Amino acid sequence: MKKLLLSLLLASPTLLFAQGSQVNTQSQKAVGMAGAGSALFIDEASIFYSPGALAKMEGNGIAIGASAVMYRSAFREYNSTEIHNTKFKITPPFSVFATFGPKNSWWKAGIGVYTPFGGSVDWGTDWPGKYELNHLQMRAIYIQPTLSFKITENFGIGGGFVYNVGLVDLSRSIPVTMADGSSGQANLSGTGTGMGYNLGVHYHLEDNVSLSLSYRSKVVTKLKDGDADFSVPPSLAASFPNTTFNAELPLPASFNFGISFPASSKVDIAADATFIGYDIYKSLDFDYADNTPVLQDTRQEKKYDNAFSGKVGVNYKTCDNLTLRAGIGYVYTPVRGPYVSPETPDNNRVMASAGFTYLLSDKWDLTAAYVLQQVQARTVTNKASGLSGTYKTNIHAPGISLTYKW
Amino acid sequence: MKRSKNTIKVYLGIISLSLTTYSCAPEIDSFESSSGTNADFSKYIAIGNSLTAGFADGGLYLEGQQVAFPNLIAEQLKSVGGGNFNSPFFSEEQRNGSGYLQLKSLTDGQPVMEQVTSNLAYREAGKLTRYTSEIQNYGVPGMRVDLAYVPLFGALNIYFERLLPEAEVGAKSYFDFVTTRNHSFFSFWLGNNDVLGYAMNGAYETPGDPTTTFTSVTDFTNRYGNFINTLTSNQQKGVVATIPDVTAIPFFTTVTTARLKAGVEASSNGVYKEIYISTASGPRVATAEDLFTLSFPTDTLGKASSGIPGYGLIIQNPLHDRFVIDKDEVAEIAGRVNAFNTVIKQLAENKQLAVADAHAYLNKVKTTGISYNGININATFIQGNAFSLDGIHLTPIGNALMANLFIDAINAKYNARVPKVDATKYRGVKYP
Repeated sequence: MKKLLLSLLLASPTLLFAQGSQVNTQSQKAVGMAGAGSALFIDEASIFYSPGALAKMEGNGIAIGASAVMYRSAFREYNSTEIHNTKFKITPPFSVFATFGPKNSWWKAGIGVYTPFGGSVDWGTDWPGKYELNHLQMRAIYIQPTLSFKITENFGIGGGFVYNVGLVDLSRSIPVTMADGSSGQANLSGTGTGMGYNLGVHYHLEDNVSLSLSYRSKVVTKLKDGDADFSVPPSLAASFPNTTFNAELPLPASFNFGISFPASSKVDIAADATFIGYDIYKSLDFDYADNTPVLQDTRQEKKYDNAFSGKVGVNYKTCDNLTLRAGIGYVYTPVRGPYVSPETPDNNRVMASAGFTYLLSDKWDLTAAYVLQQVQARTVTNKASGLSGTYKTNIHAPGISLTYKW
Repeated sequence: MKRSKNTIKVYLGIISLSLTTYSCAPEIDSFESSSGTNADFSKYIAIGNSLTAGFADGGLYLEGQQVAFPNLIAEQLKSVGGGNFNSPFFSEEQRNGSGYLQLKSLTDGQPVMEQVTSNLAYREAGKLTRYTSEIQNYGVPGMRVDLAYVPLFGALNIYFERLLPEAEVGAKSYFDFVTTRNHSFFSFWLGNNDVLGYAMNGAYETPGDPTTTFTSVTDFTNRYGNFINTLTSNQQKGVVATIPDVTAIPFFTTVTTARLKAGVEASSNGVYKEIYISTASGPRVATAEDLFTLSFPTDTLGKASSGIPGYGLIIQNPLHDRFVIDKDEVAEIAGRVNAFNTVIKQLAENKQLAVADAHAYLNKVKTTGISYNGININATFIQGNAFSLDGIHLTPIGNALMANLFIDAINAKYNARVPKVDATKYRGVKYP
């Protein structure tokens, strides 16, 4: 008797490449203005923010910066008293920008290495959403050689090629019970690559008003032969073979419009509006090399909307050596309620920032900034898992960068 | 230069201020619990059978007792004025209690089970270690509505016997034992065994075995009604639960006619293709609507019985009535369950008691399954997560979901806000 076929259903694993992971920290000057300033700043980081502005740099420079992104989420299940917090994790996105080319010339070349997407959340193995996610760490590193040309004294145009290396590492509990009473676990990790480009124009009006338009293409990152490891009871090992997987992660395109103008001889105001084409993120599909009755390829709906953000900042030159900055911003989330999940407990968010640049010498600048992003509380029921509750997230991102000019 | 230093200080001040204001974890509004109206949770007692006791995997043992749904409810009631809730736990040294089943291996996907025989709690053969301190979980495996009034049952049922002082064994009925506890609130889930005892015996009343009696609706109505009237004599409130369909549990849905037929056909090289059963209207071929129990001894199939070969495989030697619930018996049992549930709901309505509709809930678990926070819960044996290895009783996660069903009922009836149990903390069936 008891002729039974075991068929455990392994819910599909999840990944994020969402708003929640996008904390733009490429230039600490822009961070100090909550992300505004693409039209205002003409420096190495224009490789990222406004490639058309790059050719307007007089000399050359190299900037190295890093941030400490602290992503703190909390969750309370509906009708429960318990509040669960993500563990304290610091993600260190970094950026390096360098330019090359003759001084005061009609062209400039540059290269940027930066991490436009990345994050680390660790909910642990003892929270109501553990069968959705234990931890996730991901980073997309973009390598972008760029060329920029001055068409006229006021008008610059530029573009670059983007090569992306994506790294992802996540785990989730599997609802099978080990002999010691704990749950099984799936661990997925892998690297992938993708390609894209960016383009931009930058225009100075006579009265020092500057305009910047830039476009960054989507980058579809293909994860190939990632490792899928399963910790399950030995009797189920054959159903959960350690195998490899392929997946595709579309990083969205974005279109940015920036404007800056002087409010006085010492004060500049900059504003940026960014449209992010997240609607390409329709689903996340995992293709396992070895399938079993319980380990099937999975397809998880994401159905993202497009996202939009608006940022405005003030840049105040107090004296020759010190510039102070502050900014505020607002971001509309691309994640719809039923698709909010522990990797992206996203919602509309407000941002506030402050920062400064201090000229250490003719050659060296030190820039530091701090941005706080508050993702508003959101009460949702996830369509796939049924997990129902309230998420709230704060993101703190202090950062520092050092520039050498010649 | 001096000025800029001061300005930096101001900025650093603002930054550190905002860091302390928002530092670390974001704050979410906390859950406001409330005891609502009319209900007083200060002394909650749980009355019921094996489900209330935390019986699982074919035995009563400490881990199961600790996650019994009333214990989980009591924990949640603490935030709304609930008091102490003692249970007749086995000691750590005797944690395996009566002994229980565990999964030894999976061989070609078939479960192989073994009995846990260490750290048992027998004080002598057939008698469990006593627990006679004051308790609030009065769950007694095997308890029935009809036998709750029979003092002698205390001497026959090892789980009831261990709760009674020596002098009261066989002298005090379960009804008298539990209705004198000055409770302020109660959960009451009896009646399952008044049909299950009969159903598990193949819808067959074994002469002389009162645990296989098929309790009549009249008896049930009188005795259940008397029990509830007594428990509410001081206007106490409580929650009662309906009786699940026997077809909702894997004990009756795992060994199917199709599986038996396939096994017989394979092992006889196609000579035998059908299973023959005894019914009230004579022997006939088993169909998909006839149910076999999980304890059905498949190795007796085809053997000689009473001198006739081919037991169960030929019409001249059909399976004994005890091993099958034929479709007429299934309908008879379902009708009785429905009649009992009508009585329960009506009584609850009259007495203003909450109703945990376990009948509807377990039917939903069986038909569509439930998706709970990424776990699929259904009535499939072993991997369905809801039912333990005996195919009848709940797993720890099944108990947690049952506790939430009761809490939902309490909240709805008494406008209370009792917090829910996080069922993901509790396990399903353990795999080797």
